This record gives sequence, C-alpha cells and structure tokens, in this order.
Amino acid sequence: MLTPDQAADLDAIAAQIFPTDDTPGAREARVVTFLDRSLATWAAQQREPLLHGLDELNGEVERRWPGTQRFANLAPERQLELLRAQEQTPFFQQMRFATLVGMFSLPAYGGNADKAGWRVIGFEDRYAWQPPFGDYDAEAARGR
Amino acid sequence: MRPARPAVRFHPSRTVDFVVVGSGAAGGIIAKELATAGLTVVVLEQGPRVEPPQFEHDEIKTLFQSALQNNPAGFTFRRSASETAKPGQIQLLYHRLVGGGSVMFTANYWRFREIDFIERSRLGAISGTGLEDWPITYRDLEPYYTKAEWELGVSGEPGPFDPPRTRPYPLPPLPVKSSGVLFERGARALGLHPQPAPLAILSQPFNGRPACQHCGYCLGFGCEFRAKSSTLYTVIPMAEATGRCEVRPNSYVRRIEVDRKGRVTGATYFDENKKEQFQRARAVALCCNGSETPRLLLLSASSRFPNGLANSSGVVGKYLMFNGYSSSSGVFERPLNEFKSVTATRVLYDFYESDPKRGFYGGGAPDARSFAYPTIFALGGLPHDGPSWGAGYKRILRDYYTRTMNVDGHSTSLPLETNTISLDPDMKDAWGLPAMRVTYKDHPDDLAMMRFLQDRAIEILEAAGARRTWRQPVQETNLAAHLLGTCRMGDDPRTSVVDRYHRAHDVRNLFICDGSSLVTGGRGQPTATIQALAYRAGEHIAAFARRGEI
Repeated sequence: MLTPDQAADLDAIAAQIFPTDDTPGAREARVVTFLDRSLATWAAQQREPLLHGLDELNGEVERRWPGTQRFANLAPERQLELLRAQEQTPFFQQMRFATLVGMFSLPAYGGNADKAGWRVIGFEDRYAWQPPFGDYDAEAARGR
Repeated sequence: MRPARPAVRFHPSRTVDFVVVGSGAAGGIIAKELATAGLTVVVLEQGPRVEPPQFEHDEIKTLFQSALQNNPAGFTFRRSASETAKPGQIQLLYHRLVGGGSVMFTANYWRFREIDFIERSRLGAISGTGLEDWPITYRDLEPYYTKAEWELGVSGEPGPFDPPRTRPYPLPPLPVKSSGVLFERGARALGLHPQPAPLAILSQPFNGRPACQHCGYCLGFGCEFRAKSSTLYTVIPMAEATGRCEVRPNSYVRRIEVDRKGRVTGATYFDENKKEQFQRARAVALCCNGSETPRLLLLSASSRFPNGLANSSGVVGKYLMFNGYSSSSGVFERPLNEFKSVTATRVLYDFYESDPKRGFYGGGAPDARSFAYPTIFALGGLPHDGPSWGAGYKRILRDYYTRTMNVDGHSTSLPLETNTISLDPDMKDAWGLPAMRVTYKDHPDDLAMMRFLQDRAIEILEAAGARRTWRQPVQETNLAAHLLGTCRMGDDPRTSVVDRYHRAHDVRNLFICDGSSLVTGGRGQPTATIQALAYRAGEHIAAFARRGEI
C-alpha cells in the first residue's frame, strides 16, 4: 500500500530509530514491511496521520535543504539531526512506537524478520523452559 | 482431561433456578456450587468463549488490541464529582470472556489476614473514609480459602507472618527465578523476611492439568497449558458436567427484571446478534466484577427501585477501591532472563500491617516481578532519563533486557464514598446503554503508602547489588485491574448492599458475590478472597435454596 518513495522514507526513519551496528537493525528486520502490512490492515486508522506526518517531515527536509525533496535522500548525519529536532512531534512518537513494535512483535506481522529483533536483545520464544532460568537462580541452585 | 462440552441448553423461556451473571473468578465458582447442589443454572457471560488452544503469545493481539479484553464499551472518568467525566484517561483492565479475569491475571494468590477484617475496631475510625469492619472474620472465611486452594490448585509455602491455615498448600512453590534470588538476597541483608509468592499456578500436575511450562507469557495472557488456575478449565467444566449448567457466551445483560412483589424474575440480555432476550429464573447471582455489577444494578432501576436495584442504602457503586501500586527496576551484572516463567516468585509481608508511626494509614507488600515481554520492554522498560531511540538506546536495550528485574509494591486503598461507579449522563456504550462513569481520587495516605513501598523496593534492589535502579513515578492511579468495594457486605441495610451471605438486603432472591462485596480492599491480589467468598456464598445460597428460603 505504501508507494516506493514512502517506503524508502519510512525505512530510513526506522533505521535511525533502531540502527544497524554489528547486529541487525530495523532495516534487516524489515520493519517497513511490518508498517506496510499493518497500515493496510489492523492499524488502518493510523495510516492517514502517519502519512500526513511524513509529508510534513519531507516539507521540512525541502525547507532546510532545498532540492533534496525526501528524507531518504538525506545523508545519515542530516537524517539524525532532523529527527532529533522532531523528537517531540506526534509523528516521530508514532514512528518510534511503530518501529519498536515492528522490531519485536511476532514475525507473522511482517517485521522482526527471522526473529532478528529477538536475537538482538537476547529473547527466545521457546514456549517451554525449565529452571535454571538465569545466572542468579543457577548459582543459588549450585550453592545448595 | 478435556472439559466436557455443555450437554444442556435451556431455552430462555424456561425458568431455571439461577441466572449467574459473569463467568469469571467468582461466577464460575458460584455456578459450580449451585449446579453440583442440584440447581439448574444459566451463566450469562458478556464475552466469547476462548479455549486454551486459542491462546497465543502475541503481544499485538493480546495487549495492544485487547483480544482478551474485548472491550467495545466505553467509559468516562473524572477525579471528583465537581468535574465532568471524559472518555479515556484511565484504563480499567478486565477481561470479557468466559473465565473473566481469572484467564489473564498474574495469579498471585494472597489470603487476606485477620487484620483485614477488623481494621476499624483495631485502628479506630479514619475520618472522611468508609473504613469499616467486615461482618465476617478471617476465621469464617478460612475453610473457603482452603477449599479454593485445593480445588483450583495453588502453589506455595507458609511464611513467617501467615494467618492460621487448616491445611497446607496442595502444591509446593514454583521454582524461584533470578529476580526472586536477588530479592531474597537484598531483603535478608535488610533484616526482612522474604518468602515464596503464593500462586494459583500449578507447580506439578494436578487434577488432570499439567504443570506450568514456564513459557513466560503469564500476566495479561491466557494459559494454553491450563496451568494457571482459571475458572475456565476448572470449576466451569465441573459445573457443565452436572448436566444442569449452561454457560451462554456473547450475552450482554442489560437489566435484571423485578416483579410487583420486588422479587427478581430473570435477566434481559443482548444475544450475540444484539437481539434482546429474557432468561427467566427463580433467583439471580451477580458476579460481573466490581465495576460492571454496580452498573448493572443502576441500569436496573425501576419505579420500585428508583435509585437502582437493591440500592435503598444509596451505597451501590460507592467505596470503589483499586489497591495501590508502584514499580521499581534494577539492572544487574549478569543475565536474569526474566522473560521466562511466571511473573512473581518471592514476596515479603514485613510491611503488611498499618503502622501509626509512619504517619499515615496503609499496609502492603513488595514482590519480585518481571514484565519482560519484548515489545513492551523495548517501549517502556528502560530508565526514562536515557535515550529512547537511536544507537545509544539500542546499546542500553541490549545490555539491560536480560539483566533487569522489577520490585513492585502492592498496597491499600481507603474506601471513600466519593470514589464511585455511576452511569454517565451523556455517553453511551456500543449497545446504546449509558456508559460506565468512574470517579476516583487516591486518598493521600494511599499515595504515601505507595511511595513508602517504592522506597523499600529501591533499598532491596540496591542491597541485592543492582548496578543501577530506577522508578516509575508514583502518581494518581491511571490503570486499575482490581475493582473492589462497590456493593459492600454488612449487617446494616442502611449502610451496605448485601448481608453476610451475599443476599441483597432489599431483594430476597438476588445475590451478589464478586470484588464489589469487599468491605476493605486488602493489600492487593484480591482474587483469593473473592474466590473464597464465592465458595462460601455458593454453599450458603444452595442451602437457602434447599430449605426454601429464597
């Protein structure tokens, strides 16, 4: 449902919110796919405000750096500078929320591709565990 | 053991012995007690029937989309009667499905203690509040706490401050988590007395259900293993197996009807097609929860009961209590992996009783907790003074996610006449009925007690060796899962709604038993007490029915 330009912009924003370092970020986790799918289905009521917010952001891009036209065309340092200035806006807060949900929700929703998000933070969806669960209860069990 | 499918269906025009409204923590038990005593019962449940194989580890569906909450009705909120109530601003957390709150609760299972029933006579009146003694004592309720623990399945071990018990716990405690080990370490260093947290979760196979598999999706989720002791797969199938009980889901009761003699005659409800039906019954038991039950009584006003059914006292909807709550976190050197297993494994009751030396009324208990669902934690689990996005945020999240635990505080709410459930004069719910209006402001002592326990929580985390601690600021309540006090029990019909056997003072064949019955709210975790009251009420109501006293 997103146009290629919209997808590129939202992907770039998400990649600044949850960047790639030596581990996967929002880009590798395909958060943009999550956004596209959600906004077309269960989060449809967020579609209009989000895309309107993106238009306003791109208006700001063009105002600051005439000729650039879109967020995705900015160099990364300028992307970061702009997002920091926009941090308190409802649009940015909505993108932060959507990016993190896209990173860590069930892969069936389109994001957290191949469970990359979960691996990054150390979560595993094993559905059944046995003790010891963590280092401190393991240590206590050994000490008994 | 698979639950028996309901073998009986009653046509609404058939007069059954009892309509029970609500199939949650209380309703399921009342239905089972009445049906096994030989009475015919229709349970009208507002929500759908969702079975354990349908429970998923899906944060979006379950927590964000309220798949279990099923809350299409709205409500309004204000802090005091001098304001106009507005939609939103507070979250009332309850679950509209067969089994109700007992499907998704944390399953903390604390008995009230002797003091909870007699605080007014022990401490004296507290001016401006409705603090009262209960018409029953701990000793009256003790056999029913025991019955609930042994029939539903509760895991635990007695601790140093426990009230007397006639039988031990049926099951040993769940295995301790790293959060529990650290909580114990910090608490003991401070001279406090941590103990296993009692839980209505099976630590071993019990009554044909498997033990907890430590999957980690506990609070807020249904248990696909049936190890969390919900009424959905315990007492409700027992009721249905009698052949005398029908659980009818997607049935939203809008009104309890009364005849000219002032006796209830049944319940008018919207069926799953939003078509009005009327189920006839000889008597009615309301078990909707502490917000829906008073609302239903107010919606059932008539010329005989102009202020609401069973409301000659004017008390229906009043003395709403939410319990106090606080949350603090600590991050440690090595992984705890709190995303595994149950929510809480250790608690301490050193601060249970109100201590006048503190300068305010209040009591409660801190426990070792986790709330480590990955999306929820990423959104709000880190310290608020740090980055909330970007490279720095990601670094902290990767460091903290497996190394963080919480210590939460659970405490008292004073009963205030001004804290109420009422009907909104303007807003309507999804069925066109007056929406629920919540009026609530925490008493200053309630807030003082929340802060007191939060300070103790930070001390415990620091004594346990946390690298760093942080708090969720204590503020006026904006999320309430415990809905209590709004149809309080009492011997005096002028100041209470039901008598000591949960019979409405005004209506001989109407009974009310759920969180609304509580005279004081306890220190949190009211489900054990609600369920003990339900077992006791069910036994007595069945006896009244047998003796023709309804």
